[in-house]
Amino acid sequence: MRKRLPIAGLLGLALLASGCGSSEPEKSGNVEISYALWEKNDAPAAQKIIDAFQKANPGVTVKLEITPWDQYWTKLQTAAAGGAAPDVFWMSSLNVRMYAKGGVIAAADESKTTGFTPATVAGYRYDGKLWALPFSVSLPALWYDKKLFDAAGVKYPTADWTWDDVKAAAKKLTDPAKKQWGIMTPMWDQGGFYNTMIQAGGRVLSADGKKSGFDEAGSIQGLEFWTDLMIKDKVAPQAQVYNDTEPLQLFQTGKIGMQYGGSWFAATYAANPEVKSRVDLVPLPKGPAQEGVIVASLANAVSAKTEHPKEATAFAAFFASEEGQKIFSDAGGASISAREGTQDGFYKAYPDFNLKGLFEGSMPHGVEYPVTLDTAKWQDVQNKLLVDAWTGKRPTADVAKDIAVKMNEILAKE
Amino acid sequence: MRRTWPAHVTLIAGALVMLAPFVWQLIVSLQTLSDSLRVPPVLVPSWRWENFADVFKTVPLGRQFLNTVVVTVAITAGQLLLCSLAAFAFARLRFPGRGAIFMVFLAVLMVPQELFLLPRYEIMQGLGWLNTLQALIAPGLFGAFGTFLLRQFFLTLPTELDEAARLDGANPLQIYWHVMLPLVKPGLLALGLLSVMWSWSSLLWPLVVNTDPEQMTLAAGLASLRGQFQTNFPILFAGSIVASLPVIVLFVIMQRQLIAGIAFTGTKG
Amino acid sequence: MKSRERLWGYALIAPMALGLAVFYVWPIAQTLYLSFTESGVFGGQTWVGLDNYTALAADEEMTGALGNTLLYAALMLAGVPLSIVVAALLNVRGLRGLGFYRTIYFLPVVTMPAAVGLTWRYLYNGDFGPINQLLAAVGIDGPYWVADPDVAIYALALVGVWSSIGYNAVLFLAGLQGIPRHYYEAAEIDGAGRLRQFFRITLPLLTPTTFFVIVITMINALQVFDLVYLIFDLKSPALPGARTIVYFFFEQGFLKNQRGYAAAIAVVLLGLILVLTAIQFRLQKRWVHYA
Repeated sequence: MRKRLPIAGLLGLALLASGCGSSEPEKSGNVEISYALWEKNDAPAAQKIIDAFQKANPGVTVKLEITPWDQYWTKLQTAAAGGAAPDVFWMSSLNVRMYAKGGVIAAADESKTTGFTPATVAGYRYDGKLWALPFSVSLPALWYDKKLFDAAGVKYPTADWTWDDVKAAAKKLTDPAKKQWGIMTPMWDQGGFYNTMIQAGGRVLSADGKKSGFDEAGSIQGLEFWTDLMIKDKVAPQAQVYNDTEPLQLFQTGKIGMQYGGSWFAATYAANPEVKSRVDLVPLPKGPAQEGVIVASLANAVSAKTEHPKEATAFAAFFASEEGQKIFSDAGGASISAREGTQDGFYKAYPDFNLKGLFEGSMPHGVEYPVTLDTAKWQDVQNKLLVDAWTGKRPTADVAKDIAVKMNEILAKE
Repeated sequence: MRRTWPAHVTLIAGALVMLAPFVWQLIVSLQTLSDSLRVPPVLVPSWRWENFADVFKTVPLGRQFLNTVVVTVAITAGQLLLCSLAAFAFARLRFPGRGAIFMVFLAVLMVPQELFLLPRYEIMQGLGWLNTLQALIAPGLFGAFGTFLLRQFFLTLPTELDEAARLDGANPLQIYWHVMLPLVKPGLLALGLLSVMWSWSSLLWPLVVNTDPEQMTLAAGLASLRGQFQTNFPILFAGSIVASLPVIVLFVIMQRQLIAGIAFTGTKG
Repeated sequence: MKSRERLWGYALIAPMALGLAVFYVWPIAQTLYLSFTESGVFGGQTWVGLDNYTALAADEEMTGALGNTLLYAALMLAGVPLSIVVAALLNVRGLRGLGFYRTIYFLPVVTMPAAVGLTWRYLYNGDFGPINQLLAAVGIDGPYWVADPDVAIYALALVGVWSSIGYNAVLFLAGLQGIPRHYYEAAEIDGAGRLRQFFRITLPLLTPTTFFVIVITMINALQVFDLVYLIFDLKSPALPGARTIVYFFFEQGFLKNQRGYAAAIAVVLLGLILVLTAIQFRLQKRWVHYA
C-alpha cells in the first residue's frame, strides 16, 4: 500500500486528453463542406446522396454531422452567433424566418423548386425570397391496429372517413375492463390539433400572419374534437398518460385502436416485428367543414458565411434534384421525398403500410405549417395554455380565447 | 449481549427499498419494449441483449465512455496536484495576504455553480473550445473545496517535520513533495475518490458545452439518449447501466476510503 | 529566508488562484453584468438596467420555480431524520454486516443522477410503472406521479431523499462514533433505557453533525437539476409543478438563449442561498451543542 500516487502519469494523460478533439487539417486542393442534420433515421439516405454528389464533383467532400433534435437548434444558434454555422444544414419552416432575418442563411434559387407541391415550398419564403430548398415532407396520418378492429368487428378506416366515423369506431373499440382505448389523442400541433382546427373551418393564423385564429368558431371546434374524446366520451386515455409513455411506444402495446400520428412513424413501427404486420394507416378523416392536412416539409439551407458558396449551393440543389430525391426515397428513411413523382422507392421500403394511399390522398388537401417570424414564442404560449384544456381544468373555448389574446400581443410586436 | 435482530429487520426492510429500483432496472434492461409496458408487470427478463447493442448503435456510447474516462482522470489528477500545492502553501507557509486570499477561496465555495456557467460558456466559445474535451476538463481542474479539504489534512501534521527538512536544506517544493505529500495520502485518496464520483456523473456543464454526441460524456449522453428513445425504457436502462456501473464498481472496491473521506468532510469540514 | 518563503507561498498557490480567478471569480462578476443586459438572438448584448429583475418578479414561471424549489428543499430536510435512524441502527453495538448494509444504502449515492432519474421515471409511470401496479394490487388508484403538477414535486423529493439517505447516514454514523462511550455508561448506571439515551444523549451530541447535514442538504436541494431534467422532459404537463430554479435557468440560458435573463435567475439563486444559509447559522446558536 506504499505506492506513490502516479501524478506524473495522470498529468500525461490530461495533456493527451487536451489534444483530443481538435479537428484534422483539410487536405490541400480539396474543398470540404459540412452538412448538419438531426434525424438519425434519415442519415443513411443523406450519406447516399453525399456519395453520389462526391462522385459527380471530384475534389469536393461533404462531412455529415448528426446532432439530436434536443441540441440541434441551440448548437446551430450558437454556431451562427460565432459565424461558424455548418455550410449546409437542415432547416424547418418554423425557424427559417429568424435565420433569414438574422443574415445567417443565403437566399436559394427559386427555379430549383419547380416540380414541388406549393405547400412544401411556401413555408420557406420570406421577404419575397426563398431561403431553403425543400427535400422531404411529413404528413399526419390515422394509424390503426387491425387486430383490435378485427376483435371488435369494426371495419378498417378508409380514406373517406369523417370525424363521426372516428368517434363511432373509438366507442366500439374502447373497453375499460381490458384497459383498452379506442383512440389516442396526441396533444401536439403538427399531427393533431392544427389539422382538426382547419378541418372544422378554423385556422391557426390569419392569412397575413398578423392575427391569431384560435378564437374562431372552427378552431375551437377543432380543439374540442380532442377534449371531447378524452373528457366527454372517455374513449381516449387522459392527458397524463402520454407524458408517462410516449404515444409512439404506447401504440405498440396493442391496447390502442387508433392514433393520429405521422407518416414518419413508419420507420419505428416497421422496426418492431410484433407491430409491423398488425398496423396500417390512412389519410386523416374529413372534418365537418373540409378536408385539410398540415404538410410539414424540411429543407436545406446554405450558410450566408460559408467559405465555399458554390459547392454548398450545388449540394443543396443536388439534394432537391430528381436524382437526389430518388436516392433519398429509395433509402426508406423517416420522411418522404418532397419532389413530386419520386416517392415510389419510399413506398417500396415500407410494403406493409399504405403510404402511397396516404401521400396521394393527403397532398391535394395540403396546407403549409403556420409560421411567423418568431413562431416558437407563440407556440410556447399555445402549448402551455392548452394544458388546462387537455386536462379538463377549464373549458376549451375559454382557453382558446386566451391563447388568441396572448398570441395577438406577441404578433403585434413582430 | 444486546439483541441485534430488531436492527437487522429494519435495516433489511430499508435495504430492499434501496435495492428494488436497481433490480427493476436490470430486469427491464433485458426486456422487449412490449414486455416493459404490461399490466400486470412482467417480472422476468426476456433476455433481450440487443437492447445493449441498440444503445451502442444509436449513440457513440463507446466514445462517450472513453471521453468520460479521460475527463474524469484528467480532472482528478489536476485537482490532486493543484489543490495539494495550494493547500500546502496555505497550511505550512507564511506569506502576507494568506488569510485574505484564503477567505476568497472560501467565498467561492459558497457560490452555486450556476453563476459560473454562462461566462464559462463564453470563455470556451472565445477559445473555440466548444465541443471539445478540454472544455469539460479546464474548469474542473480548479476547486476551492479540494484546497480546503487538503488544507485541513496538512494542518494536522507536526511542525517539526518541515523544520527538520528545512535544516537539511530542502526547499518548500521538496518538503511538499518528499515529506508532506506522502503523509496526507488519506486526504488525497478521499479527494480523488470524491472527484472521480463528481466528474463522472456531472451533467449540467457537459450538457451545455458539448452538444456534439462524439464529444459528450456519459451523463449528457444519457440525456440525449432519452431525447431519442423517449420512453423506450429497456434501451434507456441498458444505457444507464453501462454509464453508472464503473463508478459503482469503484465504490464497492474502495468504499472504506471513500466513506472515510466523506465522514471527514462532515467532522472537520 | 523569509522573503524566500513568501515567494514560494505565492508560487505554490498561483496555479490554483489563477484558475479560480478565471473560472470562478471573473464569471461571478460577468454574470452580475450579464444580468443587466439583454441578449440578441445571434449574439450581442444591450444594457437594460433592472429590466430582467422586474420581469422575473412578474414571471409566473419564476415564482412557480421559487415555490417548487423551496418546497423541495423543505421536503429534503424532512427526510433527514430517516438518515439518523439508519445511522443509529448501523451504530448498534455488536451489529454484524455493517459493511454490507452501508454498501447497499450508499449505492444510490454513487449512481449517476441521470441514471437515477431515468429509473424513477419508469417506476413512476402511471399505467405501467411498478409503484402504481403495486398500489393497485392493494386497491389504491395511484396518481400520475410525474405528469400531474400537484404531485410532481413530492415524487421528485422522494427520489431525492432515496438517493441521499446513504450519504447523510455516513455523516451521521461518523458523528455517532465520535460520541464518547462514557456518556452512555453514566446514563446506564442511572437506569436510563435505550430510547431515553437516544433522546437525552445521542440527539443533543449529534447536533453539530445535524447542523452540517442540514446546511449541505439545503444548499444541494436549492440547486437540484439533474433529476428534474431526466424525470420531466420539456413537454411535460407537470413542469409548472416541477420546474426548479436551476431548471428554469437552464431553459432560459441554454435552450432559449436568453443569457441576460438567465444570469438574473442565477443571481437570485445566489441571494436565496446566502440568505437561507445565514438564517441557518443564526439559528444554530439556539439548538446546536458543541461539546
